[in-house]
Amino acid sequence: MREVSYFAPTEVGEAVKLLAQHGEKAAVLAGGTDLVAQLNYYEIKPSALVYLGGLDLDYVREEGGKLVIGAGTTIAHLLTDDLIAQKFSVLAEAAATHGSPAIRTKATIGGNLGTASPAGDMIPALMVMDADLVLASSKGQRTVPIQEFFTGPGETVRTAEELILEIHVPLLKGKAVFKKLGRRKAQVCSIVSTAVRLEMDGGVCKDARIVLGSMAPTPLRCSKAEAMLKGKAVDAALVAECAAQAVAESTPIDDQRATAWYRAKAGTALVARALAEVAGI
Amino acid sequence: MKQILSFILNGSPVDVIVTPTETLLDVLREKLGVTGPKRGCDDGDCGTCTVLLDGEPVRSCLTIALTVAGREVLTVEGLSTDGDLHPLQKAFHEHGAFQCGFCTPGMLMSAKALLDHNPTPSRTEIREYMSGNLCRCGSYEEIIEAIQVVAAGEYAPSGGKE
Amino acid sequence: MTEYVGKAMPRYDGIGQVKGQTKFVDDFVLPGMLYAKALRSPVHRGLIRGIDFTAAKNTPGVVGVVTADDIPGAKRFGACGDQPVLADEFTAYLGEEIALVVAVDEDTCMEGIEKIKLDIEEQQPVFDMFEAMKPDAPLVRPDLKSNLWDYGSGMTTRVMYIGDVEQGFAEADLIVEGRYQTGEQDHSAMEPMVSVAYFDEAERLVIHTHSQCLYFQLGQLAAIFNLPMSRIRYVGGVVGGGFGGKNHIHADHLAGLAAIKFKRPVKYRYSRREDLLYSTKRGVFILEYKTGIKKDGRLTANHIKLWHDSGAYGGFSPYGVEKCSMFASGPYHIPNTRIDGQCVLTNKAGSSSMRGFTIMNGQFPMEMQMSKIADTIGMDPWELRFINAWRDGDIGASRYVVRGAGALEAMRGAAEVHGIELPEHLLAMSSRGR
Ligand SMILES: Cc1cc2nc3c(=O)[nH]c(=O)nc-3n(C[C@H](O)[C@H](O)[C@H](O)COP(=O)(O)OP(=O)(O)OC[C@H]3O[C@@H](n4cnc5c(N)ncnc54)[C@H](O)[C@@H]3O)c2cc1C
Ligand code: FES
Ligand code: FES
Repeated sequence: MREVSYFAPTEVGEAVKLLAQHGEKAAVLAGGTDLVAQLNYYEIKPSALVYLGGLDLDYVREEGGKLVIGAGTTIAHLLTDDLIAQKFSVLAEAAATHGSPAIRTKATIGGNLGTASPAGDMIPALMVMDADLVLASSKGQRTVPIQEFFTGPGETVRTAEELILEIHVPLLKGKAVFKKLGRRKAQVCSIVSTAVRLEMDGGVCKDARIVLGSMAPTPLRCSKAEAMLKGKAVDAALVAECAAQAVAESTPIDDQRATAWYRAKAGTALVARALAEVAGI
Repeated sequence: MKQILSFILNGSPVDVIVTPTETLLDVLREKLGVTGPKRGCDDGDCGTCTVLLDGEPVRSCLTIALTVAGREVLTVEGLSTDGDLHPLQKAFHEHGAFQCGFCTPGMLMSAKALLDHNPTPSRTEIREYMSGNLCRCGSYEEIIEAIQVVAAGEYAPSGGKE
Repeated sequence: MTEYVGKAMPRYDGIGQVKGQTKFVDDFVLPGMLYAKALRSPVHRGLIRGIDFTAAKNTPGVVGVVTADDIPGAKRFGACGDQPVLADEFTAYLGEEIALVVAVDEDTCMEGIEKIKLDIEEQQPVFDMFEAMKPDAPLVRPDLKSNLWDYGSGMTTRVMYIGDVEQGFAEADLIVEGRYQTGEQDHSAMEPMVSVAYFDEAERLVIHTHSQCLYFQLGQLAAIFNLPMSRIRYVGGVVGGGFGGKNHIHADHLAGLAAIKFKRPVKYRYSRREDLLYSTKRGVFILEYKTGIKKDGRLTANHIKLWHDSGAYGGFSPYGVEKCSMFASGPYHIPNTRIDGQCVLTNKAGSSSMRGFTIMNGQFPMEMQMSKIADTIGMDPWELRFINAWRDGDIGASRYVVRGAGALEAMRGAAEVHGIELPEHLLAMSSRGR
């Protein structure tokens, strides 16, 4: 029988020490909505489980002009948090599409980043706000811009000894929305998703972020499409052109949820709808 | 590495020896004889294993058993009190809210959580809240109806219509 | 009685269901119960050269393995008796059961399975029916002469006909052709496949089953176990959804064999993924139509060729071809009708029954064809269907004389429900006569 040890540290220092000791062989357990399914189906065989539930990482605070979100914050919490509703509503929008109630009660935002799926629904919202991720290890902490965090499907710059501790979200101006298309409205991995943020001055776009989910090996920031908008008056024609450009920057694939062809068509529609909504046209 | 897990199950304390990779569903079903929660997928998708953890719905198949130490778990077995069926149980029974019944224990637990949070949900709210519980027999309409009649007070514990 | 007739009654077993007390098969957890899991074929088509179980058997907690050599009776099963209980020479679909590892729990079974050294020669599989029918196609299984199902004496086409289609085409003003396909579908009952087997105090083998048809299966199990039926207590009655998927034996034979070998209670439980990947499915049908019509909309001839993808073994599919043939020409009076049905084997998990088994796979294409005909001749699709619908006394390709025909009345009801007003001359028609 396989021997597995279980640890439920109550302090971050203790947790990172355990990770340093066990390295690759340890699995960090947060809500378990990804990890435990992998355990049940023998996809991973860790020799130690380090459970983060005792670390009190479920919090949302405003500090120094930023929102600070603990990695252990559950999706259910994001949905009902007043600060999130007021200052980061695009994240609440994304949270509302995450799984179903019994998934949201346990799934955490840190777990969404840890899984690093191109379909991770919290990620586009964090990307349009230029969030920073704080990683902790027994050697100290480092901050990684979310833009640099993902390196491939399920792959990140995080080392096995590091913990995602918290997420820092600058309170950038402008309006942001999230759109998701799946095979049904609940409990689905997206076929395509998008978050966009526009900062408008009159009818003119001052700053733009466009992120696509499920359209590339990682959630994708579409910088050429963003550049098309800056300094321009946003009208329906520009929205259509920009949506097409965003999708042109992506590399969608065929899989069991949809074909690349469909993803491109639906993605264009979704980005255009999101842009029109934030631009108020 | 075996450990002792102590938690509150349907109002009573239990102690059981478990291994770190065992899920709450494994422990309930295989070790504690609590077979109300069903194993429909072990993958989080179907909802048949739904139980309440400190009053909130969770997938017991995705919950590592050791993480519920000291917490309260409610399963379908704990729904009825002193032999009296819970209003949702009565409504599911009388409105035929199942065919094979395999999804029923999970449905009931999600429905209870819904009404605990929102005693008068709209049809849309019911559909949204119950969206993680699948019923392949397709009893969705009757399930919604059963929840609606309970919300309307039809099976209030005091008995009869209010 | 007065209080029951015409009223919706709660289910007699409903209280158990809402209290979570109804015992589904997986709810039986017996003292000392062992678990079994299958070593499944890692390839779609292969020849087994050898298997080394040494390391698996030495895994702590593994009680032993079950192979084809342990089968006391029939080595093949299924509705056609052609499917190996456990594969020993070849495998014909990905995931086909080769051997069982029996252990104290499922984790240990899986650990044991990982340690089995399977030497299997991968061969070129064939998945598409039309590829499989080509003369130079690889054979799905080495024990076949052809990938077409042999209904006996080399007969590979099941023909059902009435009249003479060639004459019917000669009488027609117009001919319309169409090709239609229905896809695969999984039953996905909420209860995955599972079985529990053990010996009772009277040395009878007890099997808790979710079978939808105990008496289809009991005989097969008795043959596999080489036990008289009187020595098998086959306990059913609680099914967590079947939809036709639990007509084929998926786990009872496996749990039973392990219980016989080790004389202990054994559970075999499919994971959801095993269930989705390896249990039986609704199989693909492809139908080609050639229909003759008079300008006034009367159908004179219908020639249908149909193919059904059976997967690697026969199962219910040869029968499914016959059943589909009965429905493929719809509820329409067509004096010259011919259906040529073929059942094709491919390297996929077996097809089996599912809700309305093979009926809508025939009805759906025929209705598509009717709509295509209506479009082609520029006739109202209701009119076309009303003119040709069966009346009492009509006779179809199955040579069954229609009595109590109801297609006209059903269509009128459908029109009413959807607020469609039908013209008087259609409303005046009756199934009682033409
Ligand atoms: C039915 C169902 C529906 C779902 N629907 C959605 C959906 O709509 N949208 C969506 O995006 N996802 C969905 N998911 C996936 C999953 O819920 C999310 O990815 C979730 O955010 C994971 O969080 P968790 O806390 O459960 O993570 P865990 O499962 O505990 O962990 C996930 C991974 O991240 C690592 N990890 C977790 N926390 C940390 C940390 N603090 N530091 C470092 N590593 C960490 C773990 O080691 C593991 O590799 C769904 C899952 C299920 C089962
Ligand atoms: S068994 Fe837990 S969700 Fe299906
Ligand atoms: S009643 Fe059968 S799955 Fe819901």
